[in-house]
This record gives sequence, structure tokens and C-alpha cells, in this order.
Amino acid sequence: MMRRFATYAVLVAGLFPLLLPFYWMAVTSLKAKRDVFTATPQWLPLHPAWDNYPLAWSAEPFGRFFFNSIVVTTLIVASQLVLASLAAFALARFEFRGRRAIFWLVVAALIVPVQITFVANFMTLARFGLLNSYLALVAPYAASAFGTFLLRQAFAAVPRQLEDAARLDGCSGLAFLWHVLLPLSRPTLIAFALVAVVAHWNDYFWPLIVTNNNAVRTLPIGLGMFVGQEVTTDWNLLMAASIFVSAPMLLLFFLMQRYFVRARLHTGIRG
Amino acid sequence: MRLQSDRLAAARPYLYLTPTLLVLATFTYLPIARLAEMSLHAPGTGASLGPWIGLSAYQKLFSNPLFWRILGQTFAYVFASVPIAMALGLGLALLLDQPLRGLGLLRALYYAPVVMPTVAVAALALWMFNPNGGLVDYLLHLVGIAPIPWLVDTTWALPTLIVIAVWKNVGYYMVIYLAGLQALPQAVLDAARLDGARPLVRFFTITLPLLRPTTFFIGVVALIGSFQVFDFVNLMTQGGPSNATNVLVYFAYQNGFAYMQLGLAAALSLVMFALVLAILGLVAWTFNR
Repeated sequence: MMRRFATYAVLVAGLFPLLLPFYWMAVTSLKAKRDVFTATPQWLPLHPAWDNYPLAWSAEPFGRFFFNSIVVTTLIVASQLVLASLAAFALARFEFRGRRAIFWLVVAALIVPVQITFVANFMTLARFGLLNSYLALVAPYAASAFGTFLLRQAFAAVPRQLEDAARLDGCSGLAFLWHVLLPLSRPTLIAFALVAVVAHWNDYFWPLIVTNNNAVRTLPIGLGMFVGQEVTTDWNLLMAASIFVSAPMLLLFFLMQRYFVRARLHTGIRG
Repeated sequence: MRLQSDRLAAARPYLYLTPTLLVLATFTYLPIARLAEMSLHAPGTGASLGPWIGLSAYQKLFSNPLFWRILGQTFAYVFASVPIAMALGLGLALLLDQPLRGLGLLRALYYAPVVMPTVAVAALALWMFNPNGGLVDYLLHLVGIAPIPWLVDTTWALPTLIVIAVWKNVGYYMVIYLAGLQALPQAVLDAARLDGARPLVRFFTITLPLLRPTTFFIGVVALIGSFQVFDFVNLMTQGGPSNATNVLVYFAYQNGFAYMQLGLAAALSLVMFALVLAILGLVAWTFNR
């Protein structure tokens, strides 16, 4: 009894530093400008200024950034799912020369993040005049070493007998991938897709390198520009913008929690 | 006819692998060679390379005291934030790995910062740690502590970034540790409990050693991840005050895009890559001993 109480006490105490920033972000986003800097902080938004949200939304072309983020994230995740499924299919279900070597080649790519290759990749894209395009934002992420690895593990777990049975029914090759392997690997697929969505929706580094034009900038870049301008002044608007930029991912996470946890269980890339 | 279809069948796995390998080659493997090439040439006009300059970019880098300082700061950031966040993550996982009501919700809450965009976290942290009206200073004031110049002071800025990184990442380590804990052989733990081993003894002699593979995995992922720290630096301090929070990726970014020293930036990226490899090797070696 005492132990249980102590556990709860520690966990709830730990929630304070964890949740206070979220609370403060929400409260600040609803404050009128004159209520932001007060000698004693106002813990409740007594006169919620809902206007802050439309004001923040129009302070930058956030509509455009939102659209760009959706396009870029969708293209990246769709491409990763297709390419990773194909590559994982080859690695998990075929015998061929160089299979081990190729597998390790794919895995090794996990230790070369874009923060190491960006100078060279920037130059390559610049040479072909591709900066400031959706292609520049998507291409480096069109395949995923991580997704390939993850799906390979899932596909390899499907028993041989199932493949033989499917072949007898005339289901082989890509049909086997589509009708048997992918449906059986659904939880892994969803988990991987969610992790990829979060990672690329939130990505700040690569879009910063290859965009300097609002037509293709994504949400994190837009918010980053807002941070640069609004510091020391309109914290309420900045907090409102931070909320609508984060909200889709927080929502997705709370709705799909069990899959997120699953993704981490089996793997663990950061989102 | 038959022969042709056999050949097709044999080519199949290679066909399926081609798109992935092409992307990885173009944007992951070849860039390493390209970086080496860039670092050995003077900057040219546009996308072309200038004349061969040998290792002088590296010489320039290694003779710059700022580089060594930034290297030290990157190490300080990595080797402070990673162990702290891992220890806290393990602590939380131990507390949450119990059949108590409501823990599912708590797990989710602790994980929420992980799915937040770094930019939103940076904006929020700039406000919380703001010298003018920031909540953190106010809370300290309530318990009688004078305001601290968090991000504007050369001593405090880096530790402040570390605190923010820990806040953002701890839930991630917690979830992986939870998975590790749930996979432990329950019989061993029960036997120790029946033998009357005290909780603390049990933890250090049984749980922690059994968690070694999990710790190794988290350590590797965390080390690679935190070596790449850039977002918080760019958004919150721009490497300042007076380079106190400058780190390797940010320094490479500055050299490449602000000072137009692409060769130097390329050299720096390769040094970084070598460091990551060396550290991974070291970690793998200690864990496999």
C-alpha cells in the first residue's frame, strides 16, 4: 500500500516539470498582449484571447507551409513504404548472391545521418538546379534504411509453409508480397509509417538547408522564422503558432498510441 | 523461353532492391566520397571545385582553437545529456513497469515531448527561460533563488540546452527501457525476490545486468542522435553567447552557408563522421568485452 502510494507520488511529481511547459504554452497562447508580462504570472487565461490563433496563423503564410508539410510528408512516407517493402521482400524471401553484403550496406546507412552528408547533398542538388523544390525535400528520404530493416525482420518471420501454400494457389512474387506479407505485417507497417510521419513532419534541419522560398518552405521552417522575429515581443502569438504546428503530431500520437509504443519496442528511431 | 524466364526470376531480388540502393547511394554513400573530394579542393565558383589544395583544409581546422573548443562542447553536450536522460528514462520505466491503474496514461504523457517538433520545443523553452518574464525564473524566485541568465550567459547556456534536450528525449528512452524490462525472464526476478534480496540489490545485481542489450541499443541510438544536435542551437542561441553553445554540426553549417567555406565544412563533416564511427566502435567494444 505504502509502496504503491510512493510510486504514484513520484510519478505525479515527475509530471510537474514535464507537463508544466505544455500548460504554460497553452495558457500563454490565450493571453492578451498586456497579460503576457505581469509581475506575478497569471495562471489562468481570465479573458481568453482566441484571436491569437487567427492572428498567428496570418503572421506568416502558415496555410502555405501547412500544405507544403502535408505534401512533403505524404510523398516521403509513401515512397519509403513502397521502396522499403520491395527491398525488404528481396532481402527476406529470396536467395541470391550478395544478399548479406547488401543487407549490411543498408544497415550501415543508419549511422550516416543527413547532418553529416548535408554539405555534399546540398551541392549535388544545387548543381542540378533543384534547390527550393519538393524534389529536394523528398529525394534524400525517398528510401529508408530503417524501414527496410524493420520490414525485413517482419517479412522474415512469415513461415516458409505459408509461401509454399500461396504458390500452390498461384500467388507468388509481388502478389505474395501484396496479398500475404504486407497484410501479415500490418502492425509493423503502421508503426513504421507513424514514426516516419512524425520524423518528417517535425524535420527542421534538411528543409532549412534546401529552401529559402515560402513557396516550398514547410511548417517547422515557418515556425522557426516566427521564432526569429517574435522573440522578446509577442510570446502569446508564438505559443499559439507552436501549438498549431505541434497539434497534428500530438493528436496522431494520442490516437495511435499503441502503435507508437510498438514501433519503439521493435526498433527505436526517434520521431 | 524457359531460360529467359529463369533469368528474369534470378534478376528479381536485384530489381526490388535497386530503387532503395540508388537512393542510399546517391544521398548517403556517394556524399561521403564527395565530401572527401570537396575537402581536398579550394572552393570553386558555383557547384564546381577549385584547384587541389591537399590537406590544408584539415590543417586549417586543426590549428583553429575554436574547433577544439567546439569539439569539447559537443562532447560535453553528448556525455552530459545522454547519461542523464538514460538514467531518468530507466528510473521512470522501473516505476511504470508495475500493474497499477492509470500508468498507461502516464506513459503516454511522458512520451508526448518526443513527438513535439524541435522548433516548437525551442520556442517554448525560449519563453520559459526568458530573462524577461520567463516562468522558470519566477518559480525559482518563489523558493528564494535569484534569476539565472540561462541562455545569455557563457556558463549557463550549454547546461540549459542539455536540460531542454533531456526533457525532450527522456520519454523515448523510457519506452525502450519499458520494452526491455517487460522482456526480462520473470522467473529470475521472482527467485531473487523469494530469496529475500533487497530491491536495490536486486536492481544492481540482476535487473541492470539483464538490461545490458537494451542499454547498449539506447546508448548507440542516443549517441548518434545527440552528436547531430543542431536545431536547438540554431533556434535558441545561434551558437552563442560568444560560441559557448557552438557544436560540430552548427559549426559546419556556419562554415558552409554563412562563411562560404564549403571545403572546411566538408572536412568538418568527415571529422564528425570519423568521430561517430570511433565512438560507436568504442561503445560496441566495451559492451562486448
